[in-house]
Amino acid sequence: MIDIVLWISLAIMCIALVVTFIRLVLGPTLPDRVVMLELMALLSVAFIGLYSIKSGHSAFLDVALVLALTAFLAAIGFARYLEKGGLHDDD
Amino acid sequence: MNGLTWNIMLALIWVGMTGNFTGSGMAIGFLLGYLLLGVTLRDVPRFSGYIRKVPRVVRFVFFFLRELVVSNLRVAYDVLTPTDYMRPGVIAVPLDAHTDGEITLLANMISLTPGSLSLDVSTDRRVLYVHMMYLDDPEQAREQIKYFESRLLELLR
Amino acid sequence: MTTDYVTFGLELATAVFMLVGALFMLLAGLGALRMPDLLMRMHATTKAGALGSGVIMVAVAIHFGEAGVTTRAVAITLFIMLTSPVAAHVIARAGYFTGTPMWSRIVRDELKGKYDRDNHTLDTPPRYKLKATADESTAPAPDAPSESQPEKQKPDDSTP
Repeated sequence: MIDIVLWISLAIMCIALVVTFIRLVLGPTLPDRVVMLELMALLSVAFIGLYSIKSGHSAFLDVALVLALTAFLAAIGFARYLEKGGLHDDD
Repeated sequence: MNGLTWNIMLALIWVGMTGNFTGSGMAIGFLLGYLLLGVTLRDVPRFSGYIRKVPRVVRFVFFFLRELVVSNLRVAYDVLTPTDYMRPGVIAVPLDAHTDGEITLLANMISLTPGSLSLDVSTDRRVLYVHMMYLDDPEQAREQIKYFESRLLELLR
Repeated sequence: MTTDYVTFGLELATAVFMLVGALFMLLAGLGALRMPDLLMRMHATTKAGALGSGVIMVAVAIHFGEAGVTTRAVAITLFIMLTSPVAAHVIARAGYFTGTPMWSRIVRDELKGKYDRDNHTLDTPPRYKLKATADESTAPAPDAPSESQPEKQKPDDSTP
């Protein structure tokens, strides 16, 4: 039972990733794209969680933790760059 | 939160003494430490309000989880229905929270509850700007956030 | 016999939590695709994304059932719940400074004109400002006027 649900969940997450990617490409402004990148990082954390269930190795969770950390730092850095320097209207 | 530190220390001592390094051992240690601090040490001023504090924290956590689930169902409804019914708006909410920690916690909880997203705190820390998904009545929305803030502050102070 | 029921229950709980978490993540993606402006997209991604990954971490904790895994799952959940609103805040702020437009049908915008573009400070609306700076030294005193002020000055809040 758990295998079937696992595959269904992974399929749903793939759809979510595709949808996020569409918005990443469409996203009219740069902050929109930063939000989408952050959502993709969250999706990757969830993917790693599902994959650790699938493979039975709990060590993958460390990767998820570090990924969440770096994604947050990346969002902060991007926002800082947008606010303090760089382009002031999107191209 | 000094009582909590003592409680965790007592739980760790219990785990160390029994040699039972599991989640259930920790829970038993925490419960015993809580009873010890709350019942037998209730005359010590530092622990006097502690017996009421833990149930309050637990109730607040459940309140928060319920709000989180409700907010997600609301988002689900928003996403799956046409966007015509949305009435977004930004309002300023006066703050009673003063320290960094209180404002941070409040802003995080506002962001995770239904239809509201905290945007920024003014430089003099008097107001929090909140983006609302459905802004029918600004005063009512403000009162709702103030209620949330009062629940959080009675917990922290 | 009873352990069979227990394992079945745990498996069922894992499956349900996995499915619910994946659906919430899909919801975050769909919300990001469909919402009309940056702030409303962040409504969807912050709430649904945080809850979705948290629920999947609950599934992981139930599936493994070890103290170490549970601790890490709880740490990941707490970290995401703590950081995703902060990220939303900094991105919203950056979006304002880069001039990201809001949805045309916004009802009310009290933030408008409150940011100082030069030194990046944020002003308070006049009716919530402290009347005298002398009140600042006593902590509980400024609360009383700031709370009673909105009711008194309600009529003139349309002027920014």
